[in-house]
Amino acid sequence: MKSRFYFVFVVFYCTALAIFTVHLRTASDRTFYRLCLVHTQRSRLKQQLEKKQLQVEAMINPAAVSQSLDDKEQNN
Amino acid sequence: MKNVRITIFLFAFLIVALLAMVLRCFYLQSVKSQHYSSIWQKQRQRLEPQMPQRGVILDCRGTVLAASNKVQTVFAEPRAITDPKEASNKLAPLIDMPAHEICKIITGSGNPGFARIKTNLEPDQYESAAKIRGIGVLSEWQRHYPAGPLAAHIVGFTSHDNRGLAGIELQYEKALAGSAGQNVFFADALRRPIRPKQFNPSVNDGFGIILTLDATIQQFTRTELLKQFREYQAESAVAIVVEPKSGAILAMVSLPGFDPNQAASTDPNNFKNRAVTDTFEPGSVLKPIIAAIALDANAVNTTEKIFCENGNYHGRGFGSIKEYRYYQYGDMTVKQILVKSSNIGMAKIGQKLGKQKLHEGLTHFGFGRKTGIDLPGEAPGLLWPHEKWTGYSLTRIPFGQEISVTALQLVRAFCILANGGKMVRPFLVQATVDNNGKIVNLKTPSPPVGFVIKPQVAQWIVNDALTAVINEGTGKRAKLEKYQLFGKTGTANIAKKDSKGYDDDAYIASFIAGAPAHDPAIVVLVSVRKPDRSLGKGYTGGTVAAPVAARIISKTLNYLEKQQF
Repeated sequence: MKSRFYFVFVVFYCTALAIFTVHLRTASDRTFYRLCLVHTQRSRLKQQLEKKQLQVEAMINPAAVSQSLDDKEQNN
Repeated sequence: MKNVRITIFLFAFLIVALLAMVLRCFYLQSVKSQHYSSIWQKQRQRLEPQMPQRGVILDCRGTVLAASNKVQTVFAEPRAITDPKEASNKLAPLIDMPAHEICKIITGSGNPGFARIKTNLEPDQYESAAKIRGIGVLSEWQRHYPAGPLAAHIVGFTSHDNRGLAGIELQYEKALAGSAGQNVFFADALRRPIRPKQFNPSVNDGFGIILTLDATIQQFTRTELLKQFREYQAESAVAIVVEPKSGAILAMVSLPGFDPNQAASTDPNNFKNRAVTDTFEPGSVLKPIIAAIALDANAVNTTEKIFCENGNYHGRGFGSIKEYRYYQYGDMTVKQILVKSSNIGMAKIGQKLGKQKLHEGLTHFGFGRKTGIDLPGEAPGLLWPHEKWTGYSLTRIPFGQEISVTALQLVRAFCILANGGKMVRPFLVQATVDNNGKIVNLKTPSPPVGFVIKPQVAQWIVNDALTAVINEGTGKRAKLEKYQLFGKTGTANIAKKDSKGYDDDAYIASFIAGAPAHDPAIVVLVSVRKPDRSLGKGYTGGTVAAPVAARIISKTLNYLEKQQF
């Protein structure tokens, strides 16, 4: 009876350990997936910000300001 | 008996076979272990390269002159598309492009694996485009030049694969480029990533470069030069603005120019930064330098009168020298010679100085060798060793012939005069910074190693002789009410290409000036090559170049004064 109990316990323990290991791996993969997602979103936002910055730079640099002032003068 | 033999034979065979297997296993496990494990590694892992972001290039006040941004490119894989028409029709509304154009790109692509369709798309556009079979999205760095042609010759441009091809982009390629890294994943049979093996890409973005250039001064300079360049229909033109005390270059313009955003479709001749690559005979702008060398060597003094032969000086070994427009001058001091820009007076100063001292002086002023500016393709100019000089050389070099210089060498020589005779080294890069704005390498100008000429001589040339050139001489058109300028005009004939002598219709009109004369804050050079004489508007340095330099000086000094408050 006792040995049967031990046998069930060992089988149960091993199964639980296997399930827990699989769970840990899945959790690790999921966390990695979320990390990649956040990483991608962050780089996309950074990319959009840099794009806007470059657009602003293209509008406020001295050459562009002079050009727009000249255009205004011509229109007036 | 026979059965026993067969049994023994089989048993022996089995033992040999087992031994062979054991040996083979040993061979595979020990001897070939590394070979097979490396193959296994390659099969089960996938490398994702990470390209670094190229560093920014900024002017001295933080204006962005060059920066990189990631853009998404939609591409097709023609071999994976069975029906190009259908794929084009599906893709067209998503990326706002006519279907027939997309179809033409897909069918006409020489590469069966890649056909670039459209770049710079919004996230929702490329995400939906990637769902079509045979269509993919490529993320890559693209270089932008927000100021366009403003500082194109300084900043340079990059190739399609982000390698510097000209200007600072080429000179500082290593610092700007950074180094690539890679992510390592375990991959399945279809090479899809399953999980990371190593997720710390050692990608190092490029360093940023801060220039001494000021985009506002660059704009003044470019606008003024461009106006004159167009008005006189010149072949090319150059303007440089330098801070004489440090050698920092505040503006450098070379025309014709180009837009680095469209470098691929530009005439390659326009890529030349003529301020450092083109050499020319300087003409009269060299006269103050020769006068300074002669005064420093005590070959002449400021009160001495030199007879200018009433406009016709000839002799054995040096031919005949005449004045510009056949003017006839008598006795003149060094100051008067500079004010009237007398060729004969200068030739006589050269003769008094002698070959060796003249050559030595010019070498000390930096002629005949590179200035060491941080730009590629700098020319050293041409100053022959004095042993090769003839009588012609000794009398022609003093008024700017038989010597070839770059615009940058000339402006440096004037900076030495403006700096009280102290050596100056022009430079363009102020500092290198990392991504967090921390200075990695601060490039301070090298301290002056000594005096090229005595301070009293430099001061006399600047405050006495060259201010008189502006007030009563050939540089009158550069006179400003607010600031006292010092400067010198030059109108140099261009030598004929195919035969001896000079072309009477081809000139280089130059003017070098600085201000304020008592404590020079800037030195400006303007040089216009081949202004069209047939327009009848003039072709001399005093007419073509001097007004441009004066306007640049006026605007720059006003701007610098305002920046101090």
